Amino acid sequence: MSRKLAVALFVLILLAACGPAATPAPTSVPPSPTPSSVPASPTSPSISLTDGLGRSVTLAGPAQRVVSLAPSNTEILYAVGAGAQVVGRDTFSDYPAEAKSLADVGGSMGSYDTEAIVALHPDLVLAGEINTPDLVAALEKLGLTVYYLKNPATLEDMYANLATVGSLTGHAAQAADLVSSLKARVAAVDAAIAPLNSRPTVYYELDATDPTKPYTAGPGTFVDLLIQRAGGTNVGSGLTSAYAQISLEQLVVANPQVIILGDAAYGESAQTVAARAGWSALAAVQSGQIYPFDDNLVSRPGPRLVDGLEALAKLLHPGVLK
Amino acid sequence: MIGYGRSTLRPYIFSMRRLTPFLAVPAFLLVAILLSIAIGSVFIPPADLGRILAGWLEGAALAEPLKTFAFILLSIRMPRTALVALTGAALGGSGAAYQGLFRNPLADPYLIGVASGAGLGAVLAMSFHWPYSTLGLLAVPAAAFLGALATVFLVYALARVGKTLPTTNLILAGVAFSSFASALTSFLMLRSTGELQQAIAWLLGGATQAGWGPVLTVLPYLAIGLGVLVLSGHALNLLQFGDEQAQQLGLPVARTRTLILLAASLSTAAAVAFSGVIGFIGLIVPHVMRLWFGPDYRRLLPLSILGGAGALLVADVIARSVLAPQELPVGIVTALAGAPFFLWILRRSKNQGYW
Amino acid sequence: MLKIENLSVSYGPRRVLRDVSLEVASGEVLALIGPNGAGKSTLVRAASGVLAPCSGTVRTNGDDLLALPPARRARFLAVVPQALSLPLAFTVWETVLMGRTPYLNFLGQASTGDGAIVRQALERVDALGLAGRRVGELSGGEQQRVLLARALAQSTPILLADEPTAHLDLQHQVHLMETLRTLAHRDHLAVLVALHDLNLAARYADRVALLVAGELRAAGTPRAVLTPAFISEAYGLPVQVVAHPFADVPLVLPDTKED
Repeated sequence: MSRKLAVALFVLILLAACGPAATPAPTSVPPSPTPSSVPASPTSPSISLTDGLGRSVTLAGPAQRVVSLAPSNTEILYAVGAGAQVVGRDTFSDYPAEAKSLADVGGSMGSYDTEAIVALHPDLVLAGEINTPDLVAALEKLGLTVYYLKNPATLEDMYANLATVGSLTGHAAQAADLVSSLKARVAAVDAAIAPLNSRPTVYYELDATDPTKPYTAGPGTFVDLLIQRAGGTNVGSGLTSAYAQISLEQLVVANPQVIILGDAAYGESAQTVAARAGWSALAAVQSGQIYPFDDNLVSRPGPRLVDGLEALAKLLHPGVLK
Repeated sequence: MIGYGRSTLRPYIFSMRRLTPFLAVPAFLLVAILLSIAIGSVFIPPADLGRILAGWLEGAALAEPLKTFAFILLSIRMPRTALVALTGAALGGSGAAYQGLFRNPLADPYLIGVASGAGLGAVLAMSFHWPYSTLGLLAVPAAAFLGALATVFLVYALARVGKTLPTTNLILAGVAFSSFASALTSFLMLRSTGELQQAIAWLLGGATQAGWGPVLTVLPYLAIGLGVLVLSGHALNLLQFGDEQAQQLGLPVARTRTLILLAASLSTAAAVAFSGVIGFIGLIVPHVMRLWFGPDYRRLLPLSILGGAGALLVADVIARSVLAPQELPVGIVTALAGAPFFLWILRRSKNQGYW
Repeated sequence: MLKIENLSVSYGPRRVLRDVSLEVASGEVLALIGPNGAGKSTLVRAASGVLAPCSGTVRTNGDDLLALPPARRARFLAVVPQALSLPLAFTVWETVLMGRTPYLNFLGQASTGDGAIVRQALERVDALGLAGRRVGELSGGEQQRVLLARALAQSTPILLADEPTAHLDLQHQVHLMETLRTLAHRDHLAVLVALHDLNLAARYADRVALLVAGELRAAGTPRAVLTPAFISEAYGLPVQVVAHPFADVPLVLPDTKED
């Protein structure tokens, strides 16, 4: 009797495990609406916003000592002109170069140095979607003010994040200017791309540790979005998950005309790709259209996404953009 | 234990030697606790530590930088020290109990699959996006705890033969379920890549949640589990002679083994829920205690509990400081430090070859 | 007194003991003999309560031993097992003290009275000088004596021994059997000892029971059971039984012809 019960429990666990696995949690496409920014009335200096976890965050005034827990947040802070107000950042924040000289508060393997964060006496900790809610709760318990910036799903969402960070740091005007200039640049790309007829198929490589089953960007990622916007067709857009594995066979059938190496930082190059067994069948390899690419331009959800868009457009349609 | 009387007997345990472990091991634990509180990525000068303590005793308010230091001590280091100590205590105690229960020097708290069950529960919970609330934050530890307990019941049910619980069956069922759960866990981790890093970090072990909450949550389970184990010393001694002889000497074997198994598993589950899977403590600390202080489980259990707490505290201090501000998962430190230490201990004790 | 009535034991489908009935009176030594696989160990294990029989009872003066909880049963019946795979790290003293378990609390705390009984038990088997040594340092014979002392420390009216002389030197075999006989005759224990050595049984037992293939073939005085008819049928070997040269007991000798 208890043996049957045990087997039944086994099967239940098996089914339960397959459930969430069948519908993987999409990390790049948050189901909830974009974070709403409700600015306080102009007369009171305090700032009250609702963050990406649905928490209401209130600051007495613009944040003067900010600790950033994500590289994208660091980039956003500097881009809206709040660089001088940042006192600490996570290990992986490396852009702009000035950020590297700030205090390092950890972040590898998801563990942050809470003591170091507390010792910096921040009045705002800017967390991102790569930080766990556990961490946010822990920092809150230590009396810190934490704002959780949800990952954007579209460029519009990204502009909203810029505006939010501008409000939090007292650089709302500068943020608005930044958003305008970014929109202009994007419009320029759209205008240049619109009349073109050719939309080359693009394979964007994220990881090719196993060259017969490499990883590419699937639907719902910014890579996918920006490739479309830049006048290309993403080979991975028909796959099922954001960080999607594609087999070499499928790749051969898709036959991309352009290969963009997002893993160039890990040593991949046109030569290493051409040397892979079976890859010579691809049009991109035969024509030599294999380009290394700075993945940070399309994976960090900040203003440099527009840099990434322009870079992609230049690779896919050389000469069309100034 | 009583004495032998004088003359003919060679007294083998002087009363000093009997007392030594109960002085040495708590002293070790105390030192480890002090180290854990005093050391962190923010350097607090010893003089300031003294001033903070004086301030607390007087009830006076502290000025900066002492105020921040005091805050760090009270809100970050002390709760973490408490959680790590409790985790180490649970691992040491249940490791000793498992070694006694299975009469096997290779037994550790994860022998019958508790770690794999907890890992599966945790990764399952990580696959969902929980709302930001107290319940949501407790989701992963609760799932890990339930996964651990479910494993024990499953393995127990599979291994039972009538009224008895054969050791071999338990181990086999445990190993089978471990493999199954690990494979399923890996499969889940591959499918939901966003949580992959979080899952890996959890599986390698380390205190993830801060504050006194986890400590208070875990405390009742450990009080019960470890309490039962400490009182089971004599029973474990009897079980070393085998189930049959223990029964012939008057021990109700099936009931006792079940009780000890549940108590040890409860302690392990509580330890794993918040701290992930930390290896070696449960295997090595009881061995060290046995080699130094003898095979009597009435002493071995409390000593392993105290020693486990101290050892994990030391490992955690190392994990926190060696690469600050990066923090090594403490499971890596215990493995790297533990194995060579154990080999050294084995070499040193030539004549005490029996365990 | 130990009364085994119609005891039947099966290992799964295999019937190992069939309807065995035996009685061991207080003050006597009953030797259980028979070929390997006859069921001697099984009988000892079933009588001591670690192996559940499919039918039959084990009684002592009216109490049904198998129905008692282990702790109470251990006050009536003590077992001397073979000295195989003993935990080697305990000392002799600690090991013998385990025998006092039925009288100690669950923490195993011993009083001076318990200590005195342990001393006595060790003296009885002439092992007091070994008290501080670890079991792993002892020889097989010494370990066996320690196990006997442990059973004695249990202070029970019934003693079961499962082939205690199996790996012992001659002097230890003799000493152990003499001790068992003294325990029965002087201290009025009921002693059931499974033996493979027929002549030891003849010399030291008051009664002998012959077990073959799970069945009791014969029970009675050594002279009555150790006959050529019974023994050669049981062991499949022609034997002759002669008078022992200096003791008033039978002597069993194999009678194979030289080729």
